[in-house]
Amino acid sequence: MTVISAAEVSGLVALLRDREAARTFSEQEWNQVLAAAEAARVLPRVAIDLERLGLTSGLPSWVRDRLASARIRGEAFARDVRWEVTCIRRALGGSAITPVFLKGAAYAAAALPCGVGRVQADVDILVPESSLPATEGALRSAGWTFVSLDAYDERYYREWMHELPPMVHAQRGTVLDVHHRILPRTGRLHPPTDRLLSHSIETAGIRVLARPHMVLHAAAHLFQDGELDDPIRELLDITDLCAVTPDPSSFWADLIVEAEALDLGRPLFYALRYAGQHLGLRPPATVSGTMTRWRPPPPVLSTMDRMVAAVVERRSRVAAQALFVRANWLKMPAPLLARHLATKIQRAVR
Amino acid sequence: VTLEALPPRERRRRLRTGTLRLRVGPFLVALQSTLPIVDHSLATLYCRHEVDQDAGGAHFNIRIDSPTAMRRLFRRQVQFTLDGFAPFIPLPRAMAPTMMEGGMNWCVGTHADQFIVIHAATLARGDRSVLMPAPPGSGKSTLCAALVARGWRLLSDEFGLLDPQTGELVGMPRPISLKNRAIEIIKARVPGAVFGPASQNTEGQTVAYLRPPPESVEAAHVRSLPGLIVIPEFSDGAPTTVTEMSRASAVMHLADNAFNHNLHGTTGFLRLVDIADAAPACRLRYSTLEEGISVVEERFARTWNG
Repeated sequence: MTVISAAEVSGLVALLRDREAARTFSEQEWNQVLAAAEAARVLPRVAIDLERLGLTSGLPSWVRDRLASARIRGEAFARDVRWEVTCIRRALGGSAITPVFLKGAAYAAAALPCGVGRVQADVDILVPESSLPATEGALRSAGWTFVSLDAYDERYYREWMHELPPMVHAQRGTVLDVHHRILPRTGRLHPPTDRLLSHSIETAGIRVLARPHMVLHAAAHLFQDGELDDPIRELLDITDLCAVTPDPSSFWADLIVEAEALDLGRPLFYALRYAGQHLGLRPPATVSGTMTRWRPPPPVLSTMDRMVAAVVERRSRVAAQALFVRANWLKMPAPLLARHLATKIQRAVR
Repeated sequence: VTLEALPPRERRRRLRTGTLRLRVGPFLVALQSTLPIVDHSLATLYCRHEVDQDAGGAHFNIRIDSPTAMRRLFRRQVQFTLDGFAPFIPLPRAMAPTMMEGGMNWCVGTHADQFIVIHAATLARGDRSVLMPAPPGSGKSTLCAALVARGWRLLSDEFGLLDPQTGELVGMPRPISLKNRAIEIIKARVPGAVFGPASQNTEGQTVAYLRPPPESVEAAHVRSLPGLIVIPEFSDGAPTTVTEMSRASAVMHLADNAFNHNLHGTTGFLRLVDIADAAPACRLRYSTLEEGISVVEERFARTWNG
């Protein structure tokens, strides 16, 4: 983990709230903001935005160079993801499986603001559980293979998780995660995959989740399953997904209905709260009122507030570890978690 | 002001506080270290580089120092970080100069995508340059050092930096890395050669850095167009052979040695084609520096001096 001070993150957060802040930074501040943005994996996004808004022209040349480098990288990511999406569609084209693309791949292919220059390691797709064997077969014959796993890891994925073990393309080396649900089988919450698939929409020639489901998936990933590796990047995704919607009036109403239907009210509460606190997302007043029904008890909330702030500002590794433990606690029942950790520790010691 | 013109106390103060910002070709490199070996290495090898006294930041913010208090107690090690990120495992402290140069290479190879970056020794004469793209161990740095000693302008012994807008090569003169026997060979050939402290690298080879000529450092801003491609391969005892390469295989070879031309999409590919269009390419197998030098110089003269 890169050690970044709170001061550096505050400049980055100001820039993410309002790109016009770029006009106000001193050279010393730029040096910190660029480092913080790189560590938070949002530098390519920031660079593309500043270029598009014409905010780079007056900057010191070394700042412009660093932004140009990140912009070129970010534009290449988007190209690579679109190509990978094309390859996956071709691979599954013959088998009558229509995958729903999730997260970064969906954002990039659908040309959403949060898909711009988004750094990502892999592509995620969602298919019905009944289609898993056919999906696996079609992908294997198109060159994807499973990374070799030992028996325990194989079982971890196959029996307990919400996705197959990661698949790697033999020639391109790209990684694909095939999901059959968005949260682990063993977790507390079970958003029904059927509903996600049946509400999915067609855009730019591929299927992606409906906008409220995109937000709920991002929220679930961050506060239910995630390890909070890139909290700023994930909160930025949520902010963008809510701020620019095709139909703002129905979006917020649908979001509440779907949070209820998918049983993801609590993660959504956290997502909107922290996207608001840190990145300035402002839902309509009626939505904020409705959200209170998913508010946790005060001691829990104040603890979460402090831990999330510490992780966003990279002030504390303990807070990051605490949230990691919390996520795993939510991921598996206690006996299974105990066994999982015992296996991992045994392996680390060996 | 050049680094050698800076009073040593001021140099060390800046190095300690991370405000020693050197202009290295198109980059500002901010260095931070409390280790005397790093200060000594910089003072020896970068004496003619400009110190930027106005900038408040840099392209690369590099720190080369002991990793943590615990490690300092038990083992004398050194860690390289870029903006707080450590891409390598800590190494014994004596390897600090190697870690600094290797770390700077890593910075350029991974964080300078405003250029098309090619793994090649690059030299210029006037406004035309020679690219020698080749893997490590092919003798490109040795041949590069020998050509520099004959008056060629050093752009870099490691990177060809290509401006994607103009197709020009941008120089980044830095110390030339020489290994094992090459150190003695260059010392014998070049009487005034100045080397930094020798150390081991992670492969167990002895590495020493040769100070770049002041003329090359001072002319770092002068851009040049690709004029010749030579793919060197040192082969002990073998007769010197020159094999002409087609433009197509030259492009493929450049692509194989490019770090990031794919990030530049179509432009990246077309710029490599432009190089092959302008610059005749050959493979050069050689066993003595004299023969290597004469092949490069003859081909260059034949192509560009009429």
